[in-house]
Amino acid sequence: MNIRCARPEDLMNMQHCNLLCLPENYQMKYYFYHGLSWPQLSYVAEDENGKIVGYVLAKMEEDQEDLKHGHITSLAVKRSHRRLGLAQKLMDQASEAMVECFDAKYVSLHVRKSNRAALNLYKNSLKFETVEIEPKYYADGEDAYSMRRDLSEFAKKKESNKKEETSKNEE
Amino acid sequence: MPSSNPLPPKENALFKRILKSYEHKQYKNGLKFAKQILSNPKYQEHGETLAMKGLTLNCLGRKEEAYEYVRRGLRNDLKSHVCWHVYGLLQRSDKKYDEAIKCYRNALKWDKDNIQILRDLSLLQIQMRDLEGYRDTRYQLLMLRPTQRASWIGYAVSFHLLEDYKNALSILDTFLDQQQRLNNFDYEHSELLLYQNMVIQESGDLKQALKHLETFSDQIVDKLTLKENLADLNLKLENWERSEQLYEELIQRNPENTIYYEKMIEAKRLTKDSDIVEFYSNYDIKFPRAMPPKRLSLNYASGDQFKALVDKYMQKALSKGVPPLFVDLRSLYRDQQKVQIIQDLALGYLTSLNKVNKFSETETSNGPKEPASAILWVYYYLAQHFDYLNQTEKALEYIETAIHHTPTLIELFVTKGRINKHAGDPIEAYRCLDEAQAMDTADRYINSKCAKYMLRANLIKEAEDTCAKFTREGVSAMENLNEMQCMWFQTECALAYQRLGKFGEALKKCHEVDRHFSEIIEDQFDFHTYCMRKMTLRSYVGLLRLEDVLRGHPFYFKAAKCAIEVYLHLFDSPLKNENAEQEMNTENLAPSELKKLRNKQRKAKKKAEQESAQAREAQVKRDQHHKSRQQGDVEADAPQLDELIPDKLARVDDPLDNAIKFLQPLQTLARDQIDTHLMAFEVYYRKRKILLMLQSIKRAHQVDASHPKLHSCFIRFLQEVKENQHTFDPSVSQVITSEMKSLLTTKDPKVLNKEFLDRHKRSLRAALEGGLVMYKLDEKSQKDALNLVTPSNIEVKYQDVDIEICTEILKCLRNGLFGTNVQSQMDSFVAHCRKLFPHAEAFKPPREVTVQPQTNHVIESDSN
Repeated sequence: MNIRCARPEDLMNMQHCNLLCLPENYQMKYYFYHGLSWPQLSYVAEDENGKIVGYVLAKMEEDQEDLKHGHITSLAVKRSHRRLGLAQKLMDQASEAMVECFDAKYVSLHVRKSNRAALNLYKNSLKFETVEIEPKYYADGEDAYSMRRDLSEFAKKKESNKKEETSKNEE
Repeated sequence: MPSSNPLPPKENALFKRILKSYEHKQYKNGLKFAKQILSNPKYQEHGETLAMKGLTLNCLGRKEEAYEYVRRGLRNDLKSHVCWHVYGLLQRSDKKYDEAIKCYRNALKWDKDNIQILRDLSLLQIQMRDLEGYRDTRYQLLMLRPTQRASWIGYAVSFHLLEDYKNALSILDTFLDQQQRLNNFDYEHSELLLYQNMVIQESGDLKQALKHLETFSDQIVDKLTLKENLADLNLKLENWERSEQLYEELIQRNPENTIYYEKMIEAKRLTKDSDIVEFYSNYDIKFPRAMPPKRLSLNYASGDQFKALVDKYMQKALSKGVPPLFVDLRSLYRDQQKVQIIQDLALGYLTSLNKVNKFSETETSNGPKEPASAILWVYYYLAQHFDYLNQTEKALEYIETAIHHTPTLIELFVTKGRINKHAGDPIEAYRCLDEAQAMDTADRYINSKCAKYMLRANLIKEAEDTCAKFTREGVSAMENLNEMQCMWFQTECALAYQRLGKFGEALKKCHEVDRHFSEIIEDQFDFHTYCMRKMTLRSYVGLLRLEDVLRGHPFYFKAAKCAIEVYLHLFDSPLKNENAEQEMNTENLAPSELKKLRNKQRKAKKKAEQESAQAREAQVKRDQHHKSRQQGDVEADAPQLDELIPDKLARVDDPLDNAIKFLQPLQTLARDQIDTHLMAFEVYYRKRKILLMLQSIKRAHQVDASHPKLHSCFIRFLQEVKENQHTFDPSVSQVITSEMKSLLTTKDPKVLNKEFLDRHKRSLRAALEGGLVMYKLDEKSQKDALNLVTPSNIEVKYQDVDIEICTEILKCLRNGLFGTNVQSQMDSFVAHCRKLFPHAEAFKPPREVTVQPQTNHVIESDSN
């Protein structure tokens, strides 16, 4: 399994993976919109034959009022490739890029109230916190948990990397 | 330039309000103002007003009237840039891009510096990949608006796309110089620098590219791309140590990226397998949580070392319970020795776990015992292992044991289904998946797999109902899946319809997939302006290059292949009359039953008509919804596509020309697939295009000279040449003769066939092609031909005996391709196949096949 930043040619295969795995689907244009607005933020997990087995599709929320933050539009790992820790690794890479390129302070997402597995992943493995419940967020009437993860750990990492670079350059 | 028919101030003010209404999408108001002008007898034929009225009508979905008014307006004022521009916009909204370009050019004749028209023109030019035209238009835009950022960027990109790197770079340099002075560093600036670097790299000057990156590294915020490029450039420039250091940093950042390790190995110039294994084991210590070091070392290790490593790897996964262990290791199965080692280990685990609850009996330490689930995962692994090796009975035995152990694990039923699928029993396979699906109805992945297996079992209605659990309420699942561009489903549907002989329905699905590709190509339109603003030019160029080869995607190939096969079939045996599709199932029905069936068919037809009316209605609603959402660009509504009506599709006058439409993208974008050229041959053979036949053969020959199907193409080509040589133009004959000389040793089909069979003695696929040719050339050779394809020791004589080829042979026998009096050979062949493949549906006697074929769909719909 290989985890890397998504390229335009991955987007169609991400759509395919999404249609297989998740109830929320999008037309290709929406994938293009992500890939061409924030090319650094989406990641894929591929097998040895280059087949996409998991992905994270992410964006920046760019309204002025709020703190700068990223948003996970969609995250999926094929059931046939679960328990390899792919989701967490995908999320970590996307989050780091949000901080590095866009100075994101936190990353947000929505999850179905009934999706216990996902909830568990976000809460326990990825340190997301529930901010509020958004009633009837999904098309079928289900409520969503609105969740957030603070990204200051990545910001610290970015700072220390920067210092390292400068000291290296001064040598 | 003013209009040739200027309006007085009052009317002119009204006209401006039409324009404004159009921009703000207040179309009703626009029409009102237009009416006010046109109701004045002096201006009832005012060209620009008429044109604008037409354009406004178009936005309200009244396309025919729109064309009428726009054309009338233009006739009344041929020298108005407005009229021409409007006509161009109308054609553009109708996707007639070439026509629209002509209109814009005419408009520019009367107003050569009109920014809006130039922009519209440039968009169409890039969309149509008129790169030179695009460059010239961008030049004009730069001259007119030199202070705008997009003017510079667009002009630079146009040179880049023309591979004129020198000019592209000099424009970027000039532009960046201005920026630099403003000290304006941000994400967009960073993206522009990375784009500039991309252009330098593509120009081939790697040293300059490296220097460029190093100079601007502190202005680039995307450190990952920066580092990846630095590492790669240093590697290519053979700065080994620097490259190694950079890859080390990259691995640090993302230890799950396998490419970094591979490049690092290159930088370290490691070539010996043992060195590479050692390299990975060092990283395993450094990054104990990372997967690649553990897994990739297995690719390079061998013998005892491999055994030790894979032993550790498997034990860990089996103990923890990692379901994907088999799919993870599967690629190692190319190596027979590794397969044996893995098998021995897994069987060993089984024995030990049964005895002492540990993976090894000889483990001296009194370490903890394995969890009870460990043995389950070993059963699960072995089932997949033996399935992969085509040992169906063993695979089934292990999966049954596993299910007995834990009857609630969904994965086990999925695997049981897959084993049955591979064993040729799609019905049992889908039943397993249906069971799995019922155990977790909230998991769409299982739901999708179940639907796919249903389609493989030709149960289209059931598949749709299954998918409906996850599609939007209020619309049919078929429609929702189409709207969401769910191509896997539509393609599998098409293939199921094809198997059922419902050719019109199959074609409908293929065309739906084709339309998705057109739509995705259309999707780039908005990004031509958007990306200039966002400055994400690397991704933008990536998008353009992707769109250029979009139909090279395997999804297109699969759907196109289905469509071409169906069209070929429809050419060979056209549908006879209205009910021909159903006709074939009714031959054996009693009159009373036939009457019942007809009734049902009538009802089904009525229902289908209702559904399609509903679908049309929904489409209209959706369009309106879509329209209300649209913002930004002035974009008129997308044209209404013709409804795809299965019966019409199946009754086209020119199936071969329709096949060619699907074929052409494959010929440029899927050249490496031999099927492309074999299908091309079939089409041109039927069209009797001798040179195109030759071209197809040549290309197929380049891909795989020994492909069995190519042999039959050669034979048919030779016969075609022999029969029609006298009608060829001498130059054509000459080409054929010289080409044949380089491709073939002889022109005598019989000799050629014998040579072919002698060359491929161990291949059943070759035997089938050779046998068919043998019988066709000389019916007296029937016995020899039959002996070739159905010998009693078939699995000994040939190396490639499997369900697929045996099914094909059976089909040939049934269709009389080996003559008519072949019943006894057929029976003994089927009996033998049943022994070889006891689960395969293809060789079971018909009464054992429990699901009703073909009529199923019609009968089902009656009960709803």
